[in-house]
Amino acid sequence: MLNSSRELFQLLVSSEGNDVTQQASYQSSHPEIATVDARGSITSQAAGEAKITVTMGDASVEVPLVVNADSGTRQVNFRTDIQPLLSRHGCNSGGCHGKASGQNGFKLSLFGFDTEFDYGALVHEARGRRIDLAAPERSLLLTKSIGSVPHGGGKRIETGSDAYEMMLAWIQNGAPRPTEETPRVVEIQIEPAERILQPGALQQLRVTANYTDGTTRDVTRNTDYGSNVDVVATVDEQGGVTAGEQSGEATIMARYMGQVAVFRAIRPHGAPLAELPEFEPRNGIDRLAAEKWKKLGLRPSPPCDDATFIRRVTLDLTGRLPTVDEVRAFLADESPDKRSQLVDRLLDSPDYPAYFALKWSAILRNSRLAGADQAAYAFHNWIRDNIARNRPYDEFVRGIVAASGEWQDAPAINWYWQSRDDQLHMVTADTAQLFLGIRLQCARCHHHPYERWGQEDYFGLAGFYARLGRKSFGQPPPYYNSSKNTTGERNPLTNQPPTPRYPDGEEAEFSPEQDPRHGLVDWMSQPENPFFAKAFVNRMWGHFFSIGLVNEVDDMRETNPPSNPELLDYLAEEFVTSKFDMRHIVRLITTSRLYELSSAPRPENEYDNQNFARFYARRLIAEVLLDAVDGTCETKSNFGNISFNARAVDLPHEGFGSYFMDTFDRPQRVSVCECERSPGATLAQVLLMSTSDEMENKIADGNGRLARLFKEETPVPTVVEELYLAAFARFPSAEERQVGEDYLNSAEDKRKAAEDLLWTILNSREFVFNH
Amino acid sequence: MLDIELGSSSRTCDGMHRRGFLRLGSLAFGGLSLAGVLANQSFAAGHSNRKAVIQIWLAGGPSHIDMYDLKPSAPAEYRGEFRPIPTNVDGIEISEHLPHQAKVMDKLAIVRSAYHTNAGHGMGSQWMLTGWQPTIEVNNNIFPACGSVVSRLKGANDPALPAYVNLPNMLGLGKSAYLGASFNPFAPDSDPNNDGFQVRNLKLPGRVDPARLENRRSLMARVDTIRRDLDTKSDMQELDKFYAQGLEMVTNDKTLKAFDIKAEDPALRERYGRNDLGQSCLLARRLVESGVSYVTIQAGGGWDTHGDNFKALKDNLLPKYDMALAALVNDLAERGLADDVLVMAFGEFGRTPRINPGAGRDHWPGAMSVVYGGGGLKMGQAIGETDSKAEAPISKPYTPGDVLSTMYRVLDIDYRHVFYDEARRPLPVLAEGNPIPELV
Repeated sequence: MLNSSRELFQLLVSSEGNDVTQQASYQSSHPEIATVDARGSITSQAAGEAKITVTMGDASVEVPLVVNADSGTRQVNFRTDIQPLLSRHGCNSGGCHGKASGQNGFKLSLFGFDTEFDYGALVHEARGRRIDLAAPERSLLLTKSIGSVPHGGGKRIETGSDAYEMMLAWIQNGAPRPTEETPRVVEIQIEPAERILQPGALQQLRVTANYTDGTTRDVTRNTDYGSNVDVVATVDEQGGVTAGEQSGEATIMARYMGQVAVFRAIRPHGAPLAELPEFEPRNGIDRLAAEKWKKLGLRPSPPCDDATFIRRVTLDLTGRLPTVDEVRAFLADESPDKRSQLVDRLLDSPDYPAYFALKWSAILRNSRLAGADQAAYAFHNWIRDNIARNRPYDEFVRGIVAASGEWQDAPAINWYWQSRDDQLHMVTADTAQLFLGIRLQCARCHHHPYERWGQEDYFGLAGFYARLGRKSFGQPPPYYNSSKNTTGERNPLTNQPPTPRYPDGEEAEFSPEQDPRHGLVDWMSQPENPFFAKAFVNRMWGHFFSIGLVNEVDDMRETNPPSNPELLDYLAEEFVTSKFDMRHIVRLITTSRLYELSSAPRPENEYDNQNFARFYARRLIAEVLLDAVDGTCETKSNFGNISFNARAVDLPHEGFGSYFMDTFDRPQRVSVCECERSPGATLAQVLLMSTSDEMENKIADGNGRLARLFKEETPVPTVVEELYLAAFARFPSAEERQVGEDYLNSAEDKRKAAEDLLWTILNSREFVFNH
Repeated sequence: MLDIELGSSSRTCDGMHRRGFLRLGSLAFGGLSLAGVLANQSFAAGHSNRKAVIQIWLAGGPSHIDMYDLKPSAPAEYRGEFRPIPTNVDGIEISEHLPHQAKVMDKLAIVRSAYHTNAGHGMGSQWMLTGWQPTIEVNNNIFPACGSVVSRLKGANDPALPAYVNLPNMLGLGKSAYLGASFNPFAPDSDPNNDGFQVRNLKLPGRVDPARLENRRSLMARVDTIRRDLDTKSDMQELDKFYAQGLEMVTNDKTLKAFDIKAEDPALRERYGRNDLGQSCLLARRLVESGVSYVTIQAGGGWDTHGDNFKALKDNLLPKYDMALAALVNDLAERGLADDVLVMAFGEFGRTPRINPGAGRDHWPGAMSVVYGGGGLKMGQAIGETDSKAEAPISKPYTPGDVLSTMYRVLDIDYRHVFYDEARRPLPVLAEGNPIPELV
């Protein structure tokens, strides 16, 4: 049932479970009442009844249609009709008029989040030339859009198109201002929600908007679409999805008037599987990963061998290579649970807190900006201590978010100090990104374009920090909870200081004595909090599996859904019921069968890059790589003002000069984003590893591994074996022994030949990758 | 007017892949050139022109009123002690302490009316080096430096060489930000004026001769046999490519020759000035000749002349800079490279026209001078005018985006091309600015 005034309705036609909307043909019995186009989109024209005949091969179906009379001339409405067109045609996007500075003097709110502003910009600015009520066709809104006058953005719509007619009708009606009563979109729905598609398959989507007045409308043709993985599925402007050649999953985002919904396109890797006999789940992680594989027709790679495992898990838990002795012992160990024993041993060693202190210290921006060296040491040590004692994560977060006092007592105030006074607002977005997995910084200035977050959400969170005070002495100075507003920040929506409101929740009130930041952590650590536990477990997942279940790890939003939602829920549940036991989650992951999978692809999973059917290899990060080089060469890097025994991962802040680490993109700790590290390769890295004095000196160090082996007159086969054990945590294969021994034995200078072999090993992909 | 259907792979100004039309009406300035559009569509297949940029970065903020925009009739507390001198272009006068540049004014163009609004070193530098004003003061790139953008969109003119080089060291704010580490600059980390000048790690370590490196390479082929498909992002294969390029560079004559400044005629080396800046300029010329497409030279950090401005300029900063820039544009012209190579010189801002009690000048973004040489732009002119005290443009005010889009235009790079940062925010190469019409 439709109203008579050019309402749209998208038919969805399927045959034997497959969408055939785009293949079918359509005919209207009464085009004067309703027309239908080749894609099955119906447009009402006048009151009456009509039949739409859908034909597909020999089959045909009749769809009866009733078009009700409208109450009068249709009132085109700015908010419900015109703004969506501005979004749909890119006018208010960040690259054009939606950017903060506008474009050629014409500025719109980004993606139309501010109706009043946009109305004013169109109707009242530029001396009324944008809307010409006397000669509607001469309005710049129209002439620019169709390109009949020069337009930097080119021609956006056709004369006579629906969009053109809609804008023209609105101007002809006197370009009425939207009122409070004008319905707003409260949500949009997309149909279907998920489909398994074969290569080249088409799937038409339908998007329906629900309004505040209880009405709904088909907005398929006015919605903005995008796919996050084009090679898996693409989407056209009319909501038609085409599955690509590559298997995997794509999220198709639909955006309409600040609301978003997603369709999940699944391009299976093979036929669905009933059983996976080669993979016996050990815990919930395995069970839920396997469920997903069956659906997608993925088969996991076999488990990795012991040598790969000890190297992988030692690197991931402690940031160092296993020693030659550890490797020999582990490979010789015959106990069936030796892998989980190893995990426990590593978790109990001081190297685990040392490595995870590096991880957290970097994203908590623990830096010695302006010479706060001591505070940076203190904060680093505080983090390490929390991890060593396995303090519950919510208490760890409370120590940061609600840090109060002098740095000696509350070292985490160094986090606040990084933002100084003029950038103190950054702690709001940083809190959201670090602990809630939400990127909220966009919403400080405008509605988040891919999410429902708006300025009211940003300033609600900012409200918890509005009374953060600091003294005027010390490096860093003491921070405390003030009874009065201190930051001077104002919510532009109210022009008042921000007041606390929980994201997606209620307003919060605090007495002058209460510290709102404690209230924020209380809210975070409630079992039902939808963000806190998920953000942590996803971050850990990303640490061990190269990418998060939601990727990037701190960008959780409706339009970036998890690859395996059930698995994410399971881990979050485990985290909550264990009372935020960080080590429990780490142990669950590292003792799963999933974590043990080989990284070598097999044909049934060679295109998998989202569902962990094999381990995804990754390059060692700067600090770990330097330690690995030193560990293999039995050398030390000298970092200056710190214990000679300190490894690179032990350094408390970024201020220890190291050409090696900078070349491998050690983060400067200016961002809470893990993406501050880039795995990208550079020429300088290759030259450093292959032709630098720095590396050559380590390889040939007078107190290094080779020097010792030759001093001990170690037989050639043992030299070769030990280099493989030290660097790769494995014995050389028979062929590799042959190659290595021949190379050394045939050389005049065996020591130099051994250096060549070590150079080769350090420059190999096997060395610089955790695989 | 001409409508061009660019097909579904084109990016419109909002950064979405979308079928769109580009209207080419006035090609004089402000729009994309057709060549630019086509080149960007096919950048992956290799950018065909041989254009290159040499940027001289005057870190600290050079004093515009003492160099290119003198105000001899301003009150004494403004005009300072330097006198203007005529140049070889009628009507253009510059500082008496830039005598070499005065003789090649026909090969230079001065924009006197550049300006912005941020007086902090970090933020002002990031703005002038990237075209984007950062919202926080940090010592790292939030936005990619121009050289990184060029490296990403154009690449090196010769694949045997890096696309983007910093001389003599890595510039603090010269990095690639969200474009990824692969587009960071390459730097020799060594002063080309030193007799022992050596590109860092480009020369084999003492104990490793070419024969030994060759032994290692062949051993590597037999040892490094792990599968290259263990990761999902092709990082392993990418590293293979850099190894091939790196080891080739170490052994290939071409690269070593490009950096071999000692091969230059000693008389020419003298003309550039035997100091770090002069020899960096000369080395930059060798590099762009060989196929580097963007070189940023650090012209020392002494331009922040809060105290003793005049002494620092006339005794130290200006003589070196004057010689080096003049020699560079002369040399490029003599080699027929003036149209292919654009030289640019500026810093993060100008300096306060009013002299402070310490005979110095402080930070002043309200007016600054930008110098261009070559690149096929119109030379021999002074563009724009500041007020009687050189405090603000009174005609033709130009923004950082204007300054930098002029450079991108020379390289035929679409400065509205959109990148995405980690938050998937669409970020064009430049958010504002159009090529300076007097130059193009």
